[in-house]
Amino acid sequence: MAKKKTKSTFIGIKATPEQAALLAKLQEQLKSGTKTEVLLKGLELLAQLSPDETTAALETLSADMASGSQPATSLELARLEAEAQQYRNVLQQTKNKTEGVMRQVIKQISQTDKILAHYGSDSSELVQMIIDIQHENHWLPKEALVWLSQKLDVPLNQVYQIATFYKAFSLVPKGKHSVSVCMGSACQVRGAPALLDRVTEVLKIAPGETSPDMRFSLDTENCPGCCALAPLMVVDGIYYCNPSAKEIKQIMAACK
Amino acid sequence: MPKLKSAADLAKLRQEIQSQAKGKKVVSVTNGADGRARGSQEVVQALVKEIEKQGLKDKVRVKSTGCHGFCEKEPIVIIFPEEICYVEVKPADVPEIVSATLAQGKTIERLLYQDPNTGKRISKESEIPFYKAQNRVVLGNNRFIDMESIDDYIALGGYSALAKALLEMTPEDVLTQIKESNLKGRGGGGFPAGRKWETTRNAPGKIKYAIVNAHEGEPGAFMDRAILLGNPHSVLEGLIIGAYAIGASQGYIYLRHDSPQTIDVVNKALTQAEKYGLLGKNILGSGFDFNVELHRDIGIFVSGESTALMTSIEGSVPEPRPKYIHTSVSGIHQRPTNLNNVETWANVPLIIGKGVAWFTGIGTEVSKGTKIISLAGNINNTGLVEVPMGVTLRELVYDIGGGIPDKKKLKAVYVGGPLGGCLPESQLDLKVDFDELWEAGAPIGAGSMIVMDETNCMVNFARYFLNFLADESCGKCIPCREGVYQMLKIMNRICQGEGRDGDIELLEEISAVVMDASLCALGQTAPNPITGTIKHFRKEYEAHIEQKRCPTGVCQMLATVGRG
Amino acid sequence: MSEVTLTIDDKEVKAKEGMTILEAAQEAGFDIPTLCHHDKLAPYGGCRLCTVEVNDGRRTRLVTSCVYQVKDGITVKTESEKVIKIRKLLLELLWARAPGVQALRDYGIKYGIDRTKFDIGPTCCILCGQCVRYCAEVKKKNALGFVGRGIRRQVMFFPEIAAEECPKCGECFSICPTGVLPSNYALTQLPGFTFPTRFLG
Repeated sequence: MAKKKTKSTFIGIKATPEQAALLAKLQEQLKSGTKTEVLLKGLELLAQLSPDETTAALETLSADMASGSQPATSLELARLEAEAQQYRNVLQQTKNKTEGVMRQVIKQISQTDKILAHYGSDSSELVQMIIDIQHENHWLPKEALVWLSQKLDVPLNQVYQIATFYKAFSLVPKGKHSVSVCMGSACQVRGAPALLDRVTEVLKIAPGETSPDMRFSLDTENCPGCCALAPLMVVDGIYYCNPSAKEIKQIMAACK
Repeated sequence: MPKLKSAADLAKLRQEIQSQAKGKKVVSVTNGADGRARGSQEVVQALVKEIEKQGLKDKVRVKSTGCHGFCEKEPIVIIFPEEICYVEVKPADVPEIVSATLAQGKTIERLLYQDPNTGKRISKESEIPFYKAQNRVVLGNNRFIDMESIDDYIALGGYSALAKALLEMTPEDVLTQIKESNLKGRGGGGFPAGRKWETTRNAPGKIKYAIVNAHEGEPGAFMDRAILLGNPHSVLEGLIIGAYAIGASQGYIYLRHDSPQTIDVVNKALTQAEKYGLLGKNILGSGFDFNVELHRDIGIFVSGESTALMTSIEGSVPEPRPKYIHTSVSGIHQRPTNLNNVETWANVPLIIGKGVAWFTGIGTEVSKGTKIISLAGNINNTGLVEVPMGVTLRELVYDIGGGIPDKKKLKAVYVGGPLGGCLPESQLDLKVDFDELWEAGAPIGAGSMIVMDETNCMVNFARYFLNFLADESCGKCIPCREGVYQMLKIMNRICQGEGRDGDIELLEEISAVVMDASLCALGQTAPNPITGTIKHFRKEYEAHIEQKRCPTGVCQMLATVGRG
Repeated sequence: MSEVTLTIDDKEVKAKEGMTILEAAQEAGFDIPTLCHHDKLAPYGGCRLCTVEVNDGRRTRLVTSCVYQVKDGITVKTESEKVIKIRKLLLELLWARAPGVQALRDYGIKYGIDRTKFDIGPTCCILCGQCVRYCAEVKKKNALGFVGRGIRRQVMFFPEIAAEECPKCGECFSICPTGVLPSNYALTQLPGFTFPTRFLG
C-alpha cells in the first residue's frame, strides 16, 4: 500500500505522530466519528472550561509532565479520552438494555409461532392458543397477543376481549406458584369463606393479587368438581382438603 | 391395532380380548381427581410394584379407573372376580392386600367398609348400602374399565351398539328409537333429545355438527367429568350413533382446560378409536364418515349455555345469542348443530343396544332412565349416585347419602345449582323427576344436590349464588349485568345488617324484570336463588332485615344491635 | 321475498319475509324505544329496551323486536303492561349508570322515569356497543373494543390503532347515546396512559 501522507484535516492544528496514534486509538475505541469529530468534541469541551479552570488544568498538566508521571499528551486529548470512555460506557449499557428487550420480544414471538404452527394457524383455535401462552408464561405478554392478532388476521380488540374476559388469563406477570380456593356451592356450605380467610392470612394477599416477591398468586375458582374434598384449596394443581392455618404455612414454605 | 372393517371384526376382537383376560384377577383402583388428592396414584404404583415383587404379574391385572361414585371413601380398591371392596386404602396397605387377598384369597377386615348403623363390615361392593339402592347403568362400568384402555370397553360389549346402528339400522330407525325412548337432556334443559335430533336432521344444509357439552360449569356437579374420565368411549359411541342419525360429519367435545387428566384421557380415547377405525372414514365399513375434535376452553359458567358454547367454538368470547332461531337449525358458523350433555350421550348406546323397552322400563311416566346425582355439601356420603328417575329426595339424602354429619337437622336441599332452586325439609318426598321438580320451583338442572343443615344461612347462600352469577355474567345485556348487580348489592347490605324496609319487595321487582328481559338462560334464571329462598325461608330474610340478626350466626352483621 | 301479514298493536301490518319486528314496526310508523340499535349495524339485542310481547298462536313470549324476525299471523304488543314494566326498570338501572343523559331523559319523559332508586355509579357508558360495532362493521378498523366481563365490562380504545385512525374519522363520537365517548378517547391519548389490566378483580 502506498504510504499516505498523514494529513491533518482539522483547521490549523497539525498532530504530532504520538497525537495521531492516540487519536487513531481513540477513534478505534469509539468505533465512530472521524478524527475531525473527535477533535471538535475536544475543542468543545475546552471551550466550556473557564480561563481560571484552563490555567489550573494547564498547571496540573505541567506539574504532571515535570514529575514524569503522565505521558506527554496534550490537554484536549486527555479530556477527550475520559469523555470518550464515559460515552462508551453509556452506549454499551443502552445497547445491552435494548438488546435485552429485543431478545425478549424475539423469544416471545418465536414461542408464539410454535403455538400457531401447532394449531395450523386456525383462527377458530384462538382461545386454545391463548391458553397455551398463559400456560407457558403464567401470563399473557403483550407481544404475544399483538403477534397473534397479526398472524391470524384477527382484530386486536377481539384478542383483547378474550384475554380480559376470563379470570384464568392475566395481563400482568403472575407468581410462580398458583394458589386457588374453591368457592363453589358444595365448598361454600362446608366453610370455604373461612378457608379463604386462613389462606389470605398466611399469604398476606387478597384474591386476584400476587405476592410482592412474585412467589404466589391467589385466586378463587368456581368448582373444579372435587366436592368430596370440600372445602378445597389447590396449589399448583395439587388438591388439599380443608387445610388448617398451620398446614397452609407448611405447604407454602415447601413452595420454593 | 387392526382396523375394524365390519361387525364380525369387532366381535372377533372382543373374543380375543376376553379370552386373554380369562383366569386373571383384576384390581380396580379409583384414580380420578378425588382419589389422586388422597394418594390413589401412589396406591396404583405400589400395587404394580408389589404384584411384580410377589411374582403375580401374570395372574393379576391392575386397572386405574375413574370414579365409582363413592368419592368420600376414595381411594377404593375392588378385587374381581370376588368383588372384595376395600375403602380408604393407603399405599402402606398394599403389601398386605397383595399377599393376603390376591395371593391367598383372605379378606382384610379393617379395610372393608363399615356400616355406620349396624357396625357390620361389608365385603362385597354391591352390598354396601350406598350402592344397593342405585342402578348404575351408566356409571357402573367405570369399575371395569382402565381409563386409558379401549380394549376394556370393547370387552364389556362396547361399540356393539354402534355396529348395530351403522350396519343394521338406517339413520331414521335410530332416530325413531331415541324418540320413542323419551330420552331427555341431562345437562339442565331436560329437552327431549329425539326431537332435537330430528330438528337438526331436517334442517337444511349439508354440513352438520354434533357436540358433546362436557363443560360442566354448574358448581357442585361433577358427574360429566366422572363419566368422561372413567368411560370416555361410552360418550364417544353415543356421539357417533347420534351423528349417524342426524347426518353430522364433524363432532366436537367441548371440555374445560382445568382438568388436564380428563383432557389427556379423552385425547387418548380419540386416538385409539381412530386407530381401530371406529372414528374417521368408513367406520366399521359402513360408509359413514365422522371426525371428532377436542375443543379445550377456559370454561366459565356461561360457556355451558349452548349458543355461548358455539360462539366459543367459533373462536370468540362465549357471548350467548338469542335463541329465536334454534341452534339445531343455525349453530356453529350458522350450520345445523346438535348439542347434548355428556350423560345424555352416554345413555344412547344403552338404548340402542338394550332396546327402547329396557330404557322405558326404568323411571317414571315422564322421566325415563336413570339420573346421576352429585350429592355434596353437609352429607355423610359425598359422591355420585345413579338412581332411576322417581326415587325420592328423602331416599337420596338418608338411605343413600347416609344422612347429615354430626346428626344435625336438615334445613334444605339445593337442587340444580344456581339455575335451580331450594327445597325445604317438608318437600323431601318429591321425586327425582324433570316435571315434578320443575313445578316445585327447583328444576333438576345437571343434577347437583347440595345438602344444607341447620348451621347454614339460606340468605347468605342465596347471596353466594347471586355473587357467582354476577361474576359469571358476560355483561352483554342490561337486565342481567345491571339487574343482578343491583340485587347483589341489596343482598350484601342485608347480610351485613343494613337491610331496609321494602328490600324484599324491591328484590322481587328486579327479579321479575331480569327473568323476563334477559337474553339467555343465565340471566333468565339468575333470580331463582332469591325468589326460591324468599318463598321458603322468608322468616330468615325478615330476621336479617328487621331485626338485623342472622339466625344461624353465619352473616357477620356490622351492627351488633339486636343480636339474640 | 314473500310478504307476511302481522298485527302490531291491533293494526294490520304487511312486511317482507326476513324483516325484524322492529323494522316492520318502524316502517308502519310505530315508535319502539331502542338504545343499542343502529340502521347500519347488525342487530345486537343488548339493551332489551325494544322488548315486545309476541303471540305466535301457540304461546305468548317476550322478545327483542330488533332480532326477532316477522312471521305470518303473529300478534305483537309494543306497550303491554309487562313491557312497560320492563322498560321502566331498565331505564332506572341505566339512570344509575348515566344519570341525566339526553337519550335517557327523552325516554324517561315517555315512561315517567326521571330518577333512580339505585345507587348511582356513573360510568356514563351504557355499553350499548354501537361504537365498537360501528368501528368493526362499518369502518373495519377495530380501534376500540370491549374488555372485561360482567359489571366490569368497559369500552376501551386501543392506543396504537386509535392514535392513527381516530383523528381521521371520529364518526363514532356522534353515535354514542350518552356522549361520553369523546372523553373516553381523549383519556387513552394522554401520555403515560397504561392499559388497565385488572378487569375481574
